[in-house]
This record gives sequence, C-alpha cells and structure tokens, in this order.
Amino acid sequence: MSAQPAPVAGTGYPWPIETARLDNGLRVVVSEDHTAPVVCVNLWYDVGSRHEPAGQTGFAHLFEHLMFEGSVHVGKTEHMRHVQGAGGSLNATTNPDRTNYFETLPAEHLELALWLEADRMGGLVPALTQETLDNQREVVKNERRQRYDNVPYGDAWLRLLPLLYPPGHPYHHATIGSMEDLNAASLETFQAFHARYYAPNNAVLTVVGDVVPADVIALADKYFGMIEAVAGIPPAPSAHLPGPATSPARETVTGTVPAPRVYLSHRTHPFGTAGYDAITVLATVLGSGRGSRLYQRLADGARIAQPDYVGAYGVDLAHAPAPLIVTATAKDGVDAQALKAGVADVLDSMATEPVTDAELERAKALLTTSWWRQMSTVGGRADVLGRYATQFGDAATAGYRLPQWQAVTAGDIADAARTLDPQSRVTLTYLPEGTAA
Amino acid sequence: MSLIATRPEPGSARPYSFPAIHRASVAGGEVVAAHLPGHLLATAALLLDAGAAREDHGREGTAAVLAKCLEEGTHHRDSAAYALALEGLGAELSVSVDWDSFRVGVSVPVDLLPRTVALMAEATRTPRLDPDDVARVRDDEATSLRMEWAQPGPRADAALRADLFGAGERYGRPLYGDPTSMAAVTVEDVRAFHGSWLTRPGVLLVAGDLDKLDLHELGAAAFAGTSGSPLSPEPALDVPIAATRRVLLVGRPGSVQSTLRLGHRAPERAHPDYVPISLAATVLGGAFTSRLNHLIREVKGYTYGIRADFAMTRRFGRFGVSSSVQTAVTAPALADTVGEITRTRADGVTEEELAVARTWRAGSLSVDMQTPGAIANALATLVVHGLPDDYYATLRQRLLDATVAEVSAAAAEHLHPEGLTLVVEGDSALIRDELAATGIGEILDVEI
Repeated sequence: MSAQPAPVAGTGYPWPIETARLDNGLRVVVSEDHTAPVVCVNLWYDVGSRHEPAGQTGFAHLFEHLMFEGSVHVGKTEHMRHVQGAGGSLNATTNPDRTNYFETLPAEHLELALWLEADRMGGLVPALTQETLDNQREVVKNERRQRYDNVPYGDAWLRLLPLLYPPGHPYHHATIGSMEDLNAASLETFQAFHARYYAPNNAVLTVVGDVVPADVIALADKYFGMIEAVAGIPPAPSAHLPGPATSPARETVTGTVPAPRVYLSHRTHPFGTAGYDAITVLATVLGSGRGSRLYQRLADGARIAQPDYVGAYGVDLAHAPAPLIVTATAKDGVDAQALKAGVADVLDSMATEPVTDAELERAKALLTTSWWRQMSTVGGRADVLGRYATQFGDAATAGYRLPQWQAVTAGDIADAARTLDPQSRVTLTYLPEGTAA
Repeated sequence: MSLIATRPEPGSARPYSFPAIHRASVAGGEVVAAHLPGHLLATAALLLDAGAAREDHGREGTAAVLAKCLEEGTHHRDSAAYALALEGLGAELSVSVDWDSFRVGVSVPVDLLPRTVALMAEATRTPRLDPDDVARVRDDEATSLRMEWAQPGPRADAALRADLFGAGERYGRPLYGDPTSMAAVTVEDVRAFHGSWLTRPGVLLVAGDLDKLDLHELGAAAFAGTSGSPLSPEPALDVPIAATRRVLLVGRPGSVQSTLRLGHRAPERAHPDYVPISLAATVLGGAFTSRLNHLIREVKGYTYGIRADFAMTRRFGRFGVSSSVQTAVTAPALADTVGEITRTRADGVTEEELAVARTWRAGSLSVDMQTPGAIANALATLVVHGLPDDYYATLRQRLLDATVAEVSAAAAEHLHPEGLTLVVEGDSALIRDELAATGIGEILDVEI
C-alpha cells in the first residue's frame, strides 16, 4: 500500500468567526460551535519578554503569576477557586512575544469567566500588595529551579537565545528572566508595568464554544466596556536584524547530564511568513516522527543517537526571525564530536538532497493531523484565533495556515535549507562531567 | 463607570450527556465505540490485557521494550517502510503500558481511520521482532531509562513503591522497571510476552463520527489472525497500612531541591467509595485551591506546586503526595504536609470546600471529554475496571450528590497519616539532622 496524502483542506478553520471592537479598543472574536456544552475564554495580551528593558527581565512572566493573586473584586486565589469550582480548567503562559490567559468551562459559566478576566484587566493594580509580590517572586524562583536549574539540559533554551540573538535584541534574554532583576524591582515598578500593557486596546478577547456571538459581544461590552484605553503604549524595542548571523556561535556545557547532547540552531523567518511555512515543513521532514531523516539516519541507520531524543522544530515567534532547533542525544559510547558531525550532515542534506514526494507527503500528513488535533478542543481553537488576531490583525487568517503548509513544495524547502548555512549556525553541546570537550 | 462588582450567577446548565456507546462482537473480539457526530478526527485503540503486571520478576520493562519494537518492522515490511506508510496517513502509533493494559492507539482524520487501524493491527499482531532489533531497542530503552532516572523523581518513586508493596512483588517494582531490570530483558522475554498476551483479540475502542465508520470493518482488521479467549480478572489486593511513619532518605548530593513522595496503600479503582475518596483527595490536594497547595505554595512559598491523589488500578491503589521543595525548607514542608493530611482525616472537609470539589469534578467531565482521544480513554476505563455503560452518564450526578458526611467518612477511613512512608530525595547531608529533630518518623537511608 502506498502512502496516500491526507485530503487537502480548503481552510484550516471551517467554523464561523465573528468579530467586534469595543469603544475602548478591545477586540472581540467569537466562534460559535454547539458540539459540546463548553466554552473557552481566551485573552492575548500583546506583551511578552520582548518588551522588557534591561534590568526588568522576567517581569512579563511574573505578571502571569500576579494575575491569579486577586483584583479589586476577586480575592487572592479566588480566580482559581471560581473557575475550578465551576468545573473549568485554566492556565496562562508567557513567551517572548505575548502573554495569554485562558479558561475552559461548562458553557453556563461564560459570564463568570468574562467577569474574572475584566476584573484583573481593569482592577489589578489596587489589589497588588507587597506581600503578594514577595510571595510570587518566591514561586517563580521555585519554578526556575524546578524547570531549568534542577533538570539535566533544562537550561538549553536559556543558553540558545543569547547565542541566536545579539545583546539588546528583544529575544536575547529568556522569558523566565533574571532573579536579580525580579528582586531589585519595587512594587511601584510592577504596578506601572500592568498599567502600561494590560489595556483593552492591547488585548484580544476570544470566545469559542456553545455560545451565541451577539450575546458574547454584548457581555464583553458589559464587563470590559468601562475599562479605559491606555494611550501611548510603548512598542517593544526594535527587533530588526540585518539578516542571518554572519559567524557561527558555539558553547559547550559540562555538567551533570547522563549523555552528550547537541543542539544546532538557526534564526530563520518570522512565524506567519511563507519562509517560515517552508521551515515548518522542513523541520517535520527533518525531525518529526520515525520516518524523519534524523530518525532514519542517526537513530536507525548509523545508530549514534538515542531514538527518543532526536527532533527538529521551529519555535513559533512572530516578531523577528524565529529559531529552528535541531537536537540529538548520543547513544552509549558515542562521543559528542561524532554526534555533532552526524546531526550537521543530516541538516546539511536538506539543501543537498532534494526532498522526495514521500517525505513531503508524510510531513504534510503529520502537520495536518496535528492541526486538526489542536482544533479538536475549544481551547485549542480560541488560542489560534487569538494569535492571528493579535499578530496579524485578523483572526480569520488562521484558516490559511494549513493550506499554506500544504502548498509548500520541495523547491521551497530547498530554498529554505540553503539559508541554514553552517556559517550562521549556533551549536550548543552538553557533555557529562569527566569527559573531554 | 467602574468594574462590575458582583460575581455573575451561572446561566442554566446545559444538559450533560456522554456519547452513545455502541458494541459489536467481531471475529472473536469486541468493539466498544462512542458516537461523536461531526468530529473531524477519530481515535481507535486496541486495549489488550497485557499490562506490566504480567512481566516476570527481574525483567520489568519487557512490555515497554515490546511497545517500542512494534514499529521495528512487521512480517510485511521493514521499519522504514512501516514508518512511511503510517506517517503518510498522518498517524503515529501511541503505545502505552500501565499496570492493567497494553494499548496501541491512533488518531487521524475520520476518513483515514480504516487504513490506519489496519496498519495499527499489523504492527500489534505481526511485529517482526528480529533478535538484533529487539536487543538494540532494549539497549536504547535501558539508556533512555537511565536518562530519566538521572532526573529527580524516579528514584524516590521507586523507593516509595518498594516500601508500600514489597521489593519482591511486581507491584513493588517500578511500572517500567529500573535501568538494571530493563537491561536484563532478553529477546526471548519480549517474543514470549508478545506470543502470550498480544495475540489474543482484546477490545477495539473507537471514538468518532460513527456515521462515517463501519465497526465491523474496523473490528475485522483489528482482530484478524488472533486467537484465545479473554482472561479472567484477578481479585483486588488487601490494603495493609504500616503501624508507624517512616522517612526514607534517597541521596542526591548537591540538589537544590528536595523531591518529596509521601504515600500509603489504598483500595482499587472499582471500590464503591471511589466518588467520596476522589472528592476528599480533591479537597486535600487535587485542585489549585486545595489545602496543600494553599498552605505549602501560596502561604509558605516552599514550592512551585504540590498535589495529592489516589492512583487506582484494577487490583490496588495508593494514596500519594508529590512535590519538590527548596532544600532548606524540607523539614517544615514535610511537617506541614503531614499536618494537613492529619487534619483532613480527623476533621473531614467543609461544605464550602466540598462545593468547589463537587462542581469542579462534575463540570470537568464536560470540559475534559471534548476530544475523541479523551472519549476513547473513558471507554478504556469502563472496560478495564468492569464499569457499566451508564457509568459516566451517572457519575456527574453522583459527584454532585456527595455529602460532607460521606466525603469526611471517606477521608477518615482511607487516609492514614500515621502510617505514611515519607520519601525524601535530596542532599541528605544537609537535611538529615533537621528532619531528625522534627521527630516526624524514623529515618532510614535507602540505596537506589
């Protein structure tokens, strides 16, 4: 049986989308779907670690924590209590580009979610106390220890960013930030950060699920309409880069890791561009699944890499050329040099050996399934709509991504691969203690 | 104008329904399916009575090696050809092993499901199991496990499990074995495990738009070439509780955090008290607003998170608390944690707390079960634990009807703070004296 391509979709978003803009600038996106009795409320704030000036790194992420610690009408930890008490699930994430907050609940609790989100958009600052700030600083320090410092290879992303982006670039520092910066800042500095960025005209409210759009837009106005717009929100520092890096960058870390591991990385194109679509498909051909080149050649063929730890992926950042990261971990007895050479050979093969039809169709089929998997929950859909409304000004452009992946040709991938020149490559190597570099 | 001050009341509750369940007997096996009209994705999974409990002593990890070997080629094609065929449909095999079952699942756009199920069955029923491939996969798995065991957690989990269930018992050994037992798995072990347990028909779970699927066609593909009858389930184990509390220290020199694993034994999943037990655990440590998370994270700032739960399988359960705390606060964090468990056992839960737990667990049934994959997992729970088809349809009401008296009684009966095993994986030299000073329990060093 030959591999057959998945059916080509005309759109990646076959649900209705309605949009509105409140007088205070809040954009509202509603997508109605009565399949399940649930609703997701999602807010994208156009503030991330890229907005942080020197000396204030980690602020955007700390705010993600502070937003759960109470606002004028919602007591400390009441947000969690109300959402979970209604049967909902919730979370928030921060990355270099933006901060998002979202909760999925049984549909009859839509107004609860809107009330909670409005109260912390418009009423956080008066409720923010020194005690809360101090407590959440400690929580973030524990998060850093648990996720980055106490885990083998856990700090790879923290090390890659400054190698990929020059000092002063908004992506140069990691979102978790510096604990020293967090310690040094006063309560007033944090209050000012919220007042500056957590504004209705700097946010997109997306509601997906068992709702009627006109009701949602009226409710959005009821709960958010009185929050005043903020004038003069400062843009992020310039993300302009003159082109790919002009010289390779290398770092070797010797530490308590169980085996050598290598990361090869390039900055490519911003998320949302045709160039980045080609990188997305390229990364899937190269490093996603057992049929990928990395798996076939290094885990299966040469057997120098551990099968569970080979991969290639883009990090979907939209405001500057986004990273492509290629990684592998050595099998027992394989040294780091051999592994590094092997991974580089496979990465370089993307430019020198044309991608076959079977490789291309495999990658597109995997991307298609993963797209529909994201679309299978109201939460997945809401986040995608919020992203496209925030980053590209139009939620409906979410529907283009899947067809654009499907339109990528072998030639597009070859063009993209030629920009992954070893002369612009970042190489990060981990060595177990006691091994020579 | 100012922000709206009062919390809005909920609108009228939408009716809750679990998808209609369809069953079909096909070619010696059983198909259990849930109808999800309009869904673009569909999930199918083979549920086989071939869990890790069936592994031999000292060879724990056999099922995990077999799980990885399924994609190393079949009787019909080599591994590269298989990967291209399967991934060319946009599918990847999701193979999992737990104590009770061995599952192979796929999720794809619904029109691709029949071809994907045929490929899934090909790998499950007729894997090549070439000796060189099996040995290599075994070595990779041993390496992979060694990588995982370099992280904080697995050694603490193993110490707790051995203490609760006995190092000589299968349930007292880690679910996926340890690096030593994984390395000891032989080609013959893997082939024998496949021959004994993966060639019986088992159950095919399907969740998707059944208007576009033919269950007999799917079942025929899933059960082709199988033989043997279903195995009769073994009875649940007793629930022995230790007479005194003990601290097991697992050394991790230089660690900046202490990994905490507290636990004792508990009843099996099908136990009639399941609803009140799980609500008690929700109040104690299941929700962000739980007693433990409130005290240890929000008030004391000792940790990024802490949770308590009852993990329950077909034959046994265990109550457990897990967290990671800064090294310097290990002793007070343990004392506070034991204190909250003791308080919950002695005083039960309050109506206010239970109200949150009830509506959370009831509401999350709808929130959690949006996807075909989640529905297929729910079907698996019904089959593995012998629960009736209306189980999920009535679970919501049972959660909402649970009273303070029932849940407090379950806490009193099923929480045993005095018999807890407290495992601490961390920098023993830094924490031993302070732990001893608390008098929280006898301290023993454990080599793992």
